[in-house]
Amino acid sequence: MIRLARGLGALLALTLPFWLANPYFLHVVIMAGIFGVLALSLNLLLGYTGQLSLGHAAFFGIGAYTSALLTLRLEWSFWLALPGAVALTALAGWLIGRLALKLRGAYFVLVTISFAGVISLVSVNWMELTNGPLGLPGVPAPELGPWSLRAKSAYYYLVLAGVALSYLVCARLVGSRIGRAFLALRENEPLAESVGVDVTHYLVLAAVVSAGLAGLAGGLYAHYTRFVSPEVFLFTYTVTMVVMVVAGGKGTLAGPLVGALLFTALPEALRLATSWQWQMLAYGVLLVLLVFFLPRGIVPALAAWRARRAS
Amino acid sequence: MLNRWVPVVLVVLLAGALLTPAGFAQAPVKIGVIQPLSGPVAASGNYVRMGAEIARDWINARGGIGGRKVELVIEDNKSDPKEAASAAEKLIVRDRVPAIMGAWGSSMTLAAMPKLEEYGVPMVVETSSAASITKRGNPWIFRISPPSEMEALGLERYVAKLGVKRADFLAVNTDWGRGAVGAFGDMLKKKGAAVGAAEFMDQAATDMNAQITKIKATGGDTLFLTTAVEQITLVMKQAQEQRLGRKIITTGGSSSPTQLIKQAGAAAEGSYHILFFMPWFPEAMPDGKLAKAFVDEWNKRGHPFEGLTEGFRGHDGIATIAEAIKAARKDEPKAIRDALWKVSLMGVNGPIRFEKDGPAGKESGQSKPSIFVVQIKDGKVALPDFLAQK
Amino acid sequence: MEQLLQHLVNGLVLGGTYALLGIGLTLIFGLMNVVNFAHGEFYTLGAYAAFAALALGGVDFVVAVLAAIGAGALLGALCERVLLRPLRAESIDTTMLVMIGVWIAMQNGELLVWGGVAKSIPHPFPTAPLVLGPVSIAPLRVFVLVLAAGLIAASYLLIHRTKLGRAMRATFQDRDTAALMGVRISRIHTATFAFGSALAAAAGALLGPVFLAYPSMGDLAALKAFCVVILGGLGNLPGATLGGLLLGIAEELGAGYVSSGYRDAVGFVIIILVLLLRPSGLFAREERIG
Repeated sequence: MIRLARGLGALLALTLPFWLANPYFLHVVIMAGIFGVLALSLNLLLGYTGQLSLGHAAFFGIGAYTSALLTLRLEWSFWLALPGAVALTALAGWLIGRLALKLRGAYFVLVTISFAGVISLVSVNWMELTNGPLGLPGVPAPELGPWSLRAKSAYYYLVLAGVALSYLVCARLVGSRIGRAFLALRENEPLAESVGVDVTHYLVLAAVVSAGLAGLAGGLYAHYTRFVSPEVFLFTYTVTMVVMVVAGGKGTLAGPLVGALLFTALPEALRLATSWQWQMLAYGVLLVLLVFFLPRGIVPALAAWRARRAS
Repeated sequence: MLNRWVPVVLVVLLAGALLTPAGFAQAPVKIGVIQPLSGPVAASGNYVRMGAEIARDWINARGGIGGRKVELVIEDNKSDPKEAASAAEKLIVRDRVPAIMGAWGSSMTLAAMPKLEEYGVPMVVETSSAASITKRGNPWIFRISPPSEMEALGLERYVAKLGVKRADFLAVNTDWGRGAVGAFGDMLKKKGAAVGAAEFMDQAATDMNAQITKIKATGGDTLFLTTAVEQITLVMKQAQEQRLGRKIITTGGSSSPTQLIKQAGAAAEGSYHILFFMPWFPEAMPDGKLAKAFVDEWNKRGHPFEGLTEGFRGHDGIATIAEAIKAARKDEPKAIRDALWKVSLMGVNGPIRFEKDGPAGKESGQSKPSIFVVQIKDGKVALPDFLAQK
Repeated sequence: MEQLLQHLVNGLVLGGTYALLGIGLTLIFGLMNVVNFAHGEFYTLGAYAAFAALALGGVDFVVAVLAAIGAGALLGALCERVLLRPLRAESIDTTMLVMIGVWIAMQNGELLVWGGVAKSIPHPFPTAPLVLGPVSIAPLRVFVLVLAAGLIAASYLLIHRTKLGRAMRATFQDRDTAALMGVRISRIHTATFAFGSALAAAAGALLGPVFLAYPSMGDLAALKAFCVVILGGLGNLPGATLGGLLLGIAEELGAGYVSSGYRDAVGFVIIILVLLLRPSGLFAREERIG
């Protein structure tokens, strides 16, 4: 049953541009994919090590700016700039991981918020590098040999590959010994430490991978919208990621993707359903209702429902 | 499926319109509007929307465009470039609007611009000030607002009369504020005035005392202030608390002196404001009758008077697009784009006509709006002495 | 030198406002462990309630502040009773998500009710500044500073000297024992959340006239409040006060002598440094209450 659903899902994803001809819907799906990578990235920290990062927009933004600047200023190819962006954000993740590894809970949250705040201000004020609030227009669309991936359907497959790669990285990591160490950490840190789990090492590892994935999402975003400005560091982006992870189901692999799809589609659905005055109000109310009725998220609720039916 | 029939239906309706001038039930002409309707600059975005609605109702009262009613499809960009791009995509693909007006802030406009190129739909830019918008070689862009450089040149002839010898700058830390500091700084240096401190503030900041204290120490005579009206109010109040004692000149045309008089009181006394519309003396505008009618309609609808200095942009943007659709005789994006190059109309601000700007072959259109200066005197908005005497 | 003095006075006044924002949150976030993203909205609510009472109801300034406090307490109690109580067994992330929803809904509700145009809240103080040598300050600011100090002192006394305060501390230190001792846990939760929300509303009513009231005013305020709470140590009222003052003065000096564009970065850098060197907050005596 599950295998069938998965197969159907994969088939659906692979053939989507052929039957979803409307480019606006395809645009929504591409944005959902980019946010899906972000949600997977945040979930690695929040869902598996239990550390909440409220500065994740910083990694997203660093990725977007790095990839945009490498292609614009140094005229690197997209295929080199994107790994470059991932590498630099992973480095930033390592730095934050090393710095904040002694901190837990609210204190970790605050360090990440502050880090994002500083980076965002740098992007606004370092005019020579980032062009400040004027942003960087004209980020080139990627090219593959003679083909430009400017068309939505082509870019869709690029994003799909990004999502698949991120999912595999997360799945491999979580399924390995490292993943069990993460869980041990989340559930009972002193105990994990007492049985010889190197807490510091694993937390830094989680931060590095998580930041790298967020950088990947940033690069994909920059070359899709072809415009990067300091708004990529907006706190609302971080909030959106948190909403996607927690509402989808943190600590599950499918949860962040479900959350990303739902919470990218919801604002657009509200655009169609109601006039602008009510859109954000309805978004807030729907979010409250969702948490209220499914406090652990959609995917865990579905799993519980299936388990109940099976028994 | 349905979409495939739309062009056919439109052709049939158009034929009908030509045969029966009075027109019967016809599909409306859609115009997209992208504005920041929520978030930190929601007030300004909503004023522009109100102005756009007046233009729509006026056009429809006069019988619409070729007998077809104008319908505005309004989208919120939430002051977020990502949302501006999504809104443009939605308007073009879902609603099939043949032309758009938007998107207030420069970064929102810049983010929506690739979509215009992708689908080939023209956008009339009503507020954004960044020079790069018309310099990028996007042939679908037609701007009716002045970039900062044009605004600075508009002030050039008054610099001596205003007595600016040594100026400092306080600006919001966005493309708009940064652009204004650069443009006005260059213009002042050219006129032989000294330029002192250039301080910036976050868009959401409420306490600007540190910047004011720093500016106080430079010993200049004039403070150029570029930000939204809320922050202008706060800066004026805090400058008064600190006895700054400078001549204040606000730029960008968003300053709404009426709101400043109401909210900053004595702290706003004596300040000068660069504006693109003077609703206090509509008869002094290039088209006095139109300006007066717009002010009267605005008041009749119960919209706040202080919103007029922003609201007129919405009217002028929609009027420009409607004129182009009328000239094109069809609501097809490319035809409207071509017609935009030929429009020549009178807006509330003054004459609107587009000149080529940007790299050859892919020029954007830039109109040359009228620029005015007013002063707050005795708690009222007045023409500055050097203008009033004329 | 004159400039430095003025910067210090500015910083003190700004720090006072930060302290006022922080004390309400230190109870909700510090004691109850609710990451309250809607805290800034109670601040906004206070400002609008004061505006409604003053400009529309025509009451006295002090009455308006009291009305705002009442409105904050009432809505806070309602919020806890309806949304948080059923979720008390869930994780901190779940309650955080609910409060994110409340934040978005409240802010857009305010936009709908009041419109986006900023409101100026009238106040009875003269606008001419008090001048002391090279330094000047608005009378309203002095009043706000004094009242903030009073509110902070009153909150401290309530927590440490009254029966309700004892019950609060007991509940968040050891819930089961407190319940055994006859403390009605649910009521204490509601009371604490209402109290914290009322303090945020009081801050909005007091700072609204200094600044302006508009729907998104709470966003920056909430961010600063979180910083103040962590700087001072969770649940630590005197800590939040000192943390607020420190943050205000640091930002002011940073903007004055480093770069105004990096003004908010100064606060962030201090927070990072403090947390790295003293992870439990600058003024914390114990790791954490509750």
